[in-house]
Amino acid sequence: MGLYEYSWIVLFAPLLSFVVIIFGTRVGDMLSRPRVAVATTHAEEHAVETHGTHGEDHGQHGEDDDDDPKVPQLTQWAVVSGYVGIAIMAIAAIYSWILLFYSAFVPSSMPANGLNDIFSYNWFNQGATGSYVIAFHIDHLAIAMLVVVTTISLLVNIYSQGYMENSAGYARFYAYLSLFAFSMLVIVFAQNFLVIFIGWELVGLSSYLLIGFWINKRAKPEEQRPSPATASMQAFVMNRIGDVGFIIGIMILFANTGTFDFQKLAVDVTHMDKTVLTIAMILIFCGAIGKSAQFPLHSWLPSAMEGPTPVSALIHAATMVAAGVYMVARVFPLYLVAFPAAFLVVAWVGGFTALFAATIALVQSDFKRVLAFSTISQLGYMFVGLGVGGAEYGPGPGMFHLFTHAFFKALLFLCAGSVLHGLHHATHREVQDMRQMGGLATRMPITAITFLIATCAISGVPLFAGFFSKDTIIGLTLERGNWGLYIITLFTAGLTAFYMLRAYILAFGGTDGKFGGLWGGTYRGEGEPHESPPTMTIPLIVLAIASVVAGYWFGFFDYLHPGAPALSFGSIFSDGLTYIGIVTAVVGLVVAYVMYARVDGAKLHAAVENNAVLRTAHRILYNRYYLDTLYDWIARYLVLGLAHIAQAFDAYVVDGIVNGVASFVMFLGRDVRRTETGRVQSYMIGFFGGVAVLAAVVFVLVTYVR
Amino acid sequence: MGLTLYHFLILGAVLFCIGLYGAIAKRNAIAVLMGIEIMLNAVNVTLVGFSFFNTVKPYATYLTGQIFAIFIITVAAAEAAVALAMVIAIYRKRNTVDVSEINMMKW
Repeated sequence: MGLYEYSWIVLFAPLLSFVVIIFGTRVGDMLSRPRVAVATTHAEEHAVETHGTHGEDHGQHGEDDDDDPKVPQLTQWAVVSGYVGIAIMAIAAIYSWILLFYSAFVPSSMPANGLNDIFSYNWFNQGATGSYVIAFHIDHLAIAMLVVVTTISLLVNIYSQGYMENSAGYARFYAYLSLFAFSMLVIVFAQNFLVIFIGWELVGLSSYLLIGFWINKRAKPEEQRPSPATASMQAFVMNRIGDVGFIIGIMILFANTGTFDFQKLAVDVTHMDKTVLTIAMILIFCGAIGKSAQFPLHSWLPSAMEGPTPVSALIHAATMVAAGVYMVARVFPLYLVAFPAAFLVVAWVGGFTALFAATIALVQSDFKRVLAFSTISQLGYMFVGLGVGGAEYGPGPGMFHLFTHAFFKALLFLCAGSVLHGLHHATHREVQDMRQMGGLATRMPITAITFLIATCAISGVPLFAGFFSKDTIIGLTLERGNWGLYIITLFTAGLTAFYMLRAYILAFGGTDGKFGGLWGGTYRGEGEPHESPPTMTIPLIVLAIASVVAGYWFGFFDYLHPGAPALSFGSIFSDGLTYIGIVTAVVGLVVAYVMYARVDGAKLHAAVENNAVLRTAHRILYNRYYLDTLYDWIARYLVLGLAHIAQAFDAYVVDGIVNGVASFVMFLGRDVRRTETGRVQSYMIGFFGGVAVLAAVVFVLVTYVR
Repeated sequence: MGLTLYHFLILGAVLFCIGLYGAIAKRNAIAVLMGIEIMLNAVNVTLVGFSFFNTVKPYATYLTGQIFAIFIITVAAAEAAVALAMVIAIYRKRNTVDVSEINMMKW
């Protein structure tokens, strides 16, 4: 059908807007910006705004302000950049929704294996082993992901108009957002491992650029926050660690089958040695561990909070971390062929990470960091869903959670961004600590209500999106007879409900708020925060609606994996397990409500401090099990230690040999050069003397030795 | 006692040694050049002698040695011209032809 064949429009639209912005409007922005005038106005504005809290250290490079450099007014070109990004992304999003509805309501329009080569380019041929093709492919899985990526990107684009207002890097920001969306779409459309890997690295690059967007911002050791530049490097490097496994896995598959193509692989791997295939699939999963921030490569994701908040929303919902889940879903048929161990690894890594990250999220005081660990935890759920899906459900459960999670996690982050934006305007500095929030609901009602909806969705409150997807996964673990995973995921669901409501109450509520502390209350920070502009609240409202309705796509499993059982209210609510899940979530919510909305914060603090066990537990969790410290130690002492040894080897052994030879020759030369008298006759004596000696030797040899 | 190869070889050796002595021991550049010429001609004598007393072919059809000698004479003439020109140039520059003082290439 023509509709599918033109879906490359969706793929290349963000690339187009990236090119237009970076080579067109951004150049215009740079040229039309009055440089000197900007510097002075900014310095003045800065001096007024800081209220003297920052001291007098802002000179020419005085942009050590927490925020990005501001301009008093965006140039025409910068504004156009934003509109270009939004308009083109809107086209892509609309097209993907059309594709989604068309493929959902007219399933016969799509061939069973999807549509190959909607765009293909023969990269190069290599002798008899075959050709390397850049090929794109579309099927139901791709369309489901497509909708998520383009919709979240579009909303983030719109939202950034408000969030990045007057930012000097406005045009650059939009260019990067477009590049990010394009990179993710390359992964979504990938037809073979080669393309998915290119997209994989492009996503890594884009996240690097966006996490490190505020290049002037410094680290905040007192809040345990790295500088954006460090955080972006950390994200990049940790992903490389996972990518090593990913590349090796791809190479094993290629060496055994001679193809990168997913569909050919699905057939060819059946002839492979199963053990080798299982190892390859686990190695490929290593790539997903890095990209989707699973234990033990999770620590880049909380650090990535240093990027602008819309970027966090994009990373956490649609692009970066979703890539790992999507990749595993994409190669799902290969996992089915391998030993069950491959799926077990996926499920257990996911399950462990879900619990692990959820426990950390319980005590974090940084607003965005709670959300970061909640993402890690939810990604764990997705991998559990993929791991237990099996041949019956296919990648459905994991992808369904990805689908619903994308909406409510984007919503949570955009709400957080709205809060940060409001607090920045109120306090003129960056506040992310929830201890300086509180009672924001009456001051930012739209943000609060949407955040509450997202909290309900992620906590698994019935009839919200997260309930359907998460409950399916929890139920499936038991259906597979995996009691360990069932208990872990169930317990984590309770923890999730707890920490999300805790975050909500700490930020938006308080003991003296309305509705028993849920709505408003004492604000613990400075200034008077206000609701964000409509460019920011409209995406929130849209996402809030999506966070509810996204869960009602009961045919999702069948859509991805024909023949998979569909969800229905009957099956969900006639199952006793569902009620166990609901009760767990409600217990989590109630505990959080009592602890944070009914009990005074100081009293709670004192109770924890006076109990040795609680105090120790709190400290371990607050410091994220000291894993960051451990990684820091490893990097500092093991890696740098090795580097020092290697450096010493180079300096002393390698250079020693080279310099030793050179100085030996120099030493010889210092004396031998005396023979160079410059007088021809002395050379002649040497020459003829040598000939005479040789002649004598030859004479003796010829005469006597023969 | 007729003329034999040994006469030629002894003459060549004696001439060569005289030339060598001149080339090494003389301090006048012209004398050094003359020594070199004597050495070349000593070789010529030897070559002609070998050629004349060869046991491979009749003398009239085996002229390699003679031709070689003629080549050497030719080259020697050229060499003498060049070398004398250099001596003159050095003399103009340094006002001496004493080879022990011509040591610009010293370390």
